[in-house]
Amino acid sequence: MSFILKFKDLNEEREIPNEKYSINDLLNELELSAQTIVSKQNGELVIEDTIIENGDEIQLVQIIYGG
Amino acid sequence: MQCSKCGNPKVIIKKEQSGQLLCKDCFIQSIEKKVIKTIKKEKLLDKGDKVLVALSGGKDSVTTLEILNSFREMNIIDICAVTVDEGIDNYRQDGVDIAIRHAQRLGIEHKVVSLKDEFGITLDEIMQRENHKGSCTYCGVFRRTIINKTAREMGATKIATGHNLDDEVQAIMMNYLEGNTDNLTKLGAKTESKAKEFTVKIKPLREIPEREIGLYVVAKDLEVHFDSCPYAMQSFRGEVSEVINQLAEKHPTIKYSTLRGYDKVKNILKDELKKDYSHGRCVRCGEPSANELCKACSFLEELGV
Repeated sequence: MSFILKFKDLNEEREIPNEKYSINDLLNELELSAQTIVSKQNGELVIEDTIIENGDEIQLVQIIYGG
Repeated sequence: MQCSKCGNPKVIIKKEQSGQLLCKDCFIQSIEKKVIKTIKKEKLLDKGDKVLVALSGGKDSVTTLEILNSFREMNIIDICAVTVDEGIDNYRQDGVDIAIRHAQRLGIEHKVVSLKDEFGITLDEIMQRENHKGSCTYCGVFRRTIINKTAREMGATKIATGHNLDDEVQAIMMNYLEGNTDNLTKLGAKTESKAKEFTVKIKPLREIPEREIGLYVVAKDLEVHFDSCPYAMQSFRGEVSEVINQLAEKHPTIKYSTLRGYDKVKNILKDELKKDYSHGRCVRCGEPSANELCKACSFLEELGV
């Protein structure tokens, strides 16, 4: 069970650790705030509660930068 | 889970402040409606206005342009745009190119003005000087001067900037915490000066949270420059923003209530505290100024330019 993560220059395959693994969990792992990111699942905008499925392509777009 | 308005199961936002769920189309519509409501409530536009959009190519200014363009399409206003090139290597050019493409796409009059051409020095060059006052200090003042001058040159009756809810709340809190009551009287959706050379400034996105503007441009597939200014550092604004965002996690309406509270006392503050600056002319450049030299020229003198 894995998915593709696209974030900035990153394009990598990652394991799905459990069945209820959501984009929010992924953001926490990457230490990213949901307030600064919008998420796409297979090219479509989704909310961060979305569960990541096997074979998904998850793209994170950083829309807010600090400073 | 489905859109609270139309029932579409493809939800793209859960609004923390209201619990409302929205699909892409209803979200886009809600943002545009809210901006139009602000414009009407605050009387930001008059029929026949020529609005100069300060267009950096970032999400806020592109959204401002996009929504104001709907008023242009209805022949209510005319729009032109200016992009300020501060001279920041490996950063600004992308935004300038994006701004040019948006102006071409919409067929609007557009000028790119550089700090180098206008003042003979780039921000990168200023930052190499010892004893500089910090990038944002110069950038803010020089940009404001260029935008004001361009507004007059292009015959604009209003200047529209992309300030969003987060920017406005940060400004309210920063000025309050610093005890800067003078600046506190100058905030708001529409700012006018007694000096006729200063064009009226409007902030149509003032009630839209920053994240929702980011989501709007992605949802509408608008090309924008998502990048961090290399000079953006841990400023006081950054610290205040962090505290407000932390509070907003547990109190999701706090940004709105801060803005509403400010708007309620704004007129009292203005009546009680607004200083009546006598406007003379800067002896160096001729721009309106309360002092012998305007802020931009006093910086240029210090920099020996």
